[in-house]
Amino acid sequence: MRRGMVIDLEKCIGCRSCVVACKQHNAQPPGNWWNRVFTPGSHRHLTPPEKGEEYFLPVHCQHCNNAPCEKVCPVKATYRTEDGMIMVDFERCIGCRYCMAACPYGVRQFNWEDPKKAMEKYEYQQDYSYGYPEEFRLDGRLVYMPVRFKGVVEKCNFCAHYADKGLDPACVRGCPGNARHVGDLDDPDSKVSKMIRKKKGFTLLPEKGTRPNVYYLPPRRKEG
Amino acid sequence: MSTSKKIGFLVTGLLMLAGLAAWGLQLKEGLVLTHMRNSYSWGLYVATLAFFVGNAAGGLVLSSMIYLFGVTSLKPFARIGALCAFANVTAAMFAILPDIGQPVRLYNMLLHPNLVSPLVWDVIVLNLYAGLSLLYLYLLMLPDLRGPLARIAIKVDDPAAFSEKWAKRLAPYMLVAAVGIHVITAWIFATQGARDWWNSAVMAPDFVAAALASGTAVVLIVCVLTYGIKEQYTAAYRALATFIAVAFFTHIFFMYNDFFIHAWYGSTEALDVLAITFKDYLPAHVFEVLAPLAGVILLLNGKVRKSGAAMVSACILLVAGIFVHRFLLMPGAFDRVPLTIAPLGTQDMQWSMPIASGQYNPLGNTFVTSWQYFPSAIEIAIVAGVLAYVGFLILFAIDRLPIVNAQKEST
Ligand code: SF4
Ligand code: SF4
Repeated sequence: MRRGMVIDLEKCIGCRSCVVACKQHNAQPPGNWWNRVFTPGSHRHLTPPEKGEEYFLPVHCQHCNNAPCEKVCPVKATYRTEDGMIMVDFERCIGCRYCMAACPYGVRQFNWEDPKKAMEKYEYQQDYSYGYPEEFRLDGRLVYMPVRFKGVVEKCNFCAHYADKGLDPACVRGCPGNARHVGDLDDPDSKVSKMIRKKKGFTLLPEKGTRPNVYYLPPRRKEG
Repeated sequence: MSTSKKIGFLVTGLLMLAGLAAWGLQLKEGLVLTHMRNSYSWGLYVATLAFFVGNAAGGLVLSSMIYLFGVTSLKPFARIGALCAFANVTAAMFAILPDIGQPVRLYNMLLHPNLVSPLVWDVIVLNLYAGLSLLYLYLLMLPDLRGPLARIAIKVDDPAAFSEKWAKRLAPYMLVAAVGIHVITAWIFATQGARDWWNSAVMAPDFVAAALASGTAVVLIVCVLTYGIKEQYTAAYRALATFIAVAFFTHIFFMYNDFFIHAWYGSTEALDVLAITFKDYLPAHVFEVLAPLAGVILLLNGKVRKSGAAMVSACILLVAGIFVHRFLLMPGAFDRVPLTIAPLGTQDMQWSMPIASGQYNPLGNTFVTSWQYFPSAIEIAIVAGVLAYVGFLILFAIDRLPIVNAQKEST
């Protein structure tokens, strides 16, 4: 079993629902966003860089097979689960940020200060809290917590806390266009594997040799 | 104690305290007090680690020149070499400590070391080198451990011969450990395919070359300040100056060799990265080349070597240039977002995916593709404290230990 994701760029309408769902469900502190959606080539979201040439690109942790972040982590706080997801153990991370230098996708973020203090600065309503309310441990390791420690790294955890309950990640469930699909990349007959083969799936920055477990399906060619 | 010594202790002592206070504040508030952010996640601390690791090369240069290559004129300076090595390699570790977000968890390095992480290797070799240079210093001092210091001297029949024999035996290990700290520190960066600026096979050799230049210059500064300019040291100073020059020119060759190859092929990524150093940081680049060059030209001049002040200034120019060189490790790596692509269906375009900065800015954007990094006052205070530690330790050791030969005229 290798848990992977396919994002169909033809279906993505750039609404950023996944971004907001991710931010909320995973209680991301102010200023940090695990998931981002871009309009490549454009200086403003949802404006085409060239007439008729607009597409949207969601980017979050690619759960690489050859993950530099995993290899550099001095204390194995960043580690790979049996089904190929890359996790950060909030209890183990020493905050050296080597993994942030190592990741080519810019998806890792740091808790530069206490998230509670950050919320005050951002003028969040007092005592407002959001996101999945409980800590979640996978094989005894703390891969989700609603209020982060100061000085640790965080990034997409493939919604391990929801997978445990048999649910898809928040971004998948929040996508109105059904652009996101999760499945087993090791199984050639799985829905995601078939999509990748039939619809010419590609990965980001293949030249970096990271071999991501997140695939993208190209937007369809518009004739005329 | 002389007044200049007192002032030295006072200034370095105060700076160390200020650095400690700054670190305390940063521990309390978090690394938000630095000017690093998500897209620019390493800065002055890591650059300073690289700088001090490089400066620690002096011990290796001295011990190998004397005991492996037989440059006996350098013998009086062997202890200074070992002392500088120890001071700088420990400073390197102090410089990286404030960069750690959760320093209390460092024990995890012992409990769960990841053996493929270059950072783990670096911690191991840095500690090894620190231990070795301390041992080396002890062995070299052994014949002179008298009076109250006799307590820490091991009992041997002929301390002088014992010291000589073991210093010689240890020298090759010093060489291996010293080369190890430079190569592995360089590998921390060079292994990272995500950062084109670092991901080069020449980085480790270049790191060694720059280290040999700055490390030797640090030793030379201390030698000139303690032994002064005397007839019997002329040969030794000339040897060190020549060595610094050769190391520096090798470093320049390695560096421009790398630039040249990338510039000639002219891939967009490489040109973008080079433009950071040659356009945005041009003054810094000019300094990292010209300041040490001026230093080296001065050092090679026999007349200049007749003046202690001139020699020390020349060495400082060189060391300052290498410091800027180490700082320039960062902009080339972090000013450009690695996730830069040519968007589908566009022509001649490169587009960088903005990164959530992690910074509260009521007026600006949370998502950034570049981050103007300049160290904050806290970062500078902490690094100044570490620098002061090096000065303090060297002063203190020279004051209390038989580092400088009592009968300077002998040997
Ligand atoms: S995208 Fe970055 S953080 Fe995620 S696995 Fe790959 S290297 Fe690691
Ligand atoms: S910041 Fe944390 S997760 Fe990242 S490399 Fe360091 S210890 Fe590992």
